[in-house]
Amino acid sequence: MKEQYLILKAVKIILQVAVLYAFFAVGEAVHLLFGLPVPGSIIGLLFMLICLIFNIIPVKIIENGANFLLSFLPLLFIPAMAGVINYPALFSGNGAILLLVVVMSTIVTMAAAGMASQLLEQRVNKRKEKKKCRNSLSRSL
Amino acid sequence: MPQFFIAIFIILLTVAAYLAMMKVYQRFPYPFFIPVLTTTILIIVLLMTFHISYNGYMIGGQWINSLLGPAVVALAYPLYKQRHVLLTYSFPIIGGVFVGLFSGMISGLLFARMFGIDRDLILSIIPKSITTPVAIQIATGIGGVPSMTVVFVMIAGFSGVLLGPMILKWVRIRSSLGRGIAFGSASHALGTSKAFEYGELAVSMSSVSMTLSAVLGSLFGPLVVWLFHI
Repeated sequence: MKEQYLILKAVKIILQVAVLYAFFAVGEAVHLLFGLPVPGSIIGLLFMLICLIFNIIPVKIIENGANFLLSFLPLLFIPAMAGVINYPALFSGNGAILLLVVVMSTIVTMAAAGMASQLLEQRVNKRKEKKKCRNSLSRSL
Repeated sequence: MPQFFIAIFIILLTVAAYLAMMKVYQRFPYPFFIPVLTTTILIIVLLMTFHISYNGYMIGGQWINSLLGPAVVALAYPLYKQRHVLLTYSFPIIGGVFVGLFSGMISGLLFARMFGIDRDLILSIIPKSITTPVAIQIATGIGGVPSMTVVFVMIAGFSGVLLGPMILKWVRIRSSLGRGIAFGSASHALGTSKAFEYGELAVSMSSVSMTLSAVLGSLFGPLVVWLFHI
């Protein structure tokens, strides 16, 4: 009984990953066909989001597959990462400078994006609170 | 047929290495022990000791790699689940991503100039905070070297994942929204995979900022180059 359930679940995940793959393939086709600067995977993501929001496809069809892929997301990067092996120059003196530049710039980017969004978020929250206060005030009046 | 068995062997080896490194990370949860980093190092060491070329490894590796496309599509799922939050906070999200996008490209450019780095390398550094497939296209478009861009994208991803927790503490980013946007804007999909440690809201913020950066980056990359007369 339990084995049957596991097999069923595995089949379900495989089929759902196939659905996600189909969206990726469509995105890729659109990317090539129209020569868009945005890559196929991002176009596929946008299509998928639109389909989910407008209920064109039910969430149930991709839920398990998406969770499965996302839980292994870091694993999927490893083959591409191992490609550094082809750039031994990166580990020499000149490479150290390039590394430093990219790391410093990443620190700046992260801090700037985080600070800006947190600041703007606080403004939105304040506005929301004000609205809430006003509503409760008018109700009590 | 032997190709097939080699591929299966490589896939199993990679997955097993990843699961083992995952266990190590659970025992020792230090930033330098994140499974992506340790597994990648382990695989590079294995390839070097057994004199296997990267192309040889990719006989199996390409199958794992081919799941990246559908995995990016799968990010639509957390975005969909958080759609109401995304709508409420669309202003801070767009604002944060814009600041991240421009500070990423411009700071890379200025630091590189400061150190007297060659023009074609500067052009390859500019799109480094954007997810690999888009970064490659931006680099090609503005006259950079795509294969170097791939390396810079990886460094941006790793340094964000490793230093991120510290940076966020320094500049006092405590909200899930701020954390997610910081990771997604600076370290693309790798940062998004790190955001999983901060909860679902951080993940959707990170993936939405990664997506937005990719779309906007492909439009604004050439503008930055033009503005700074490189």
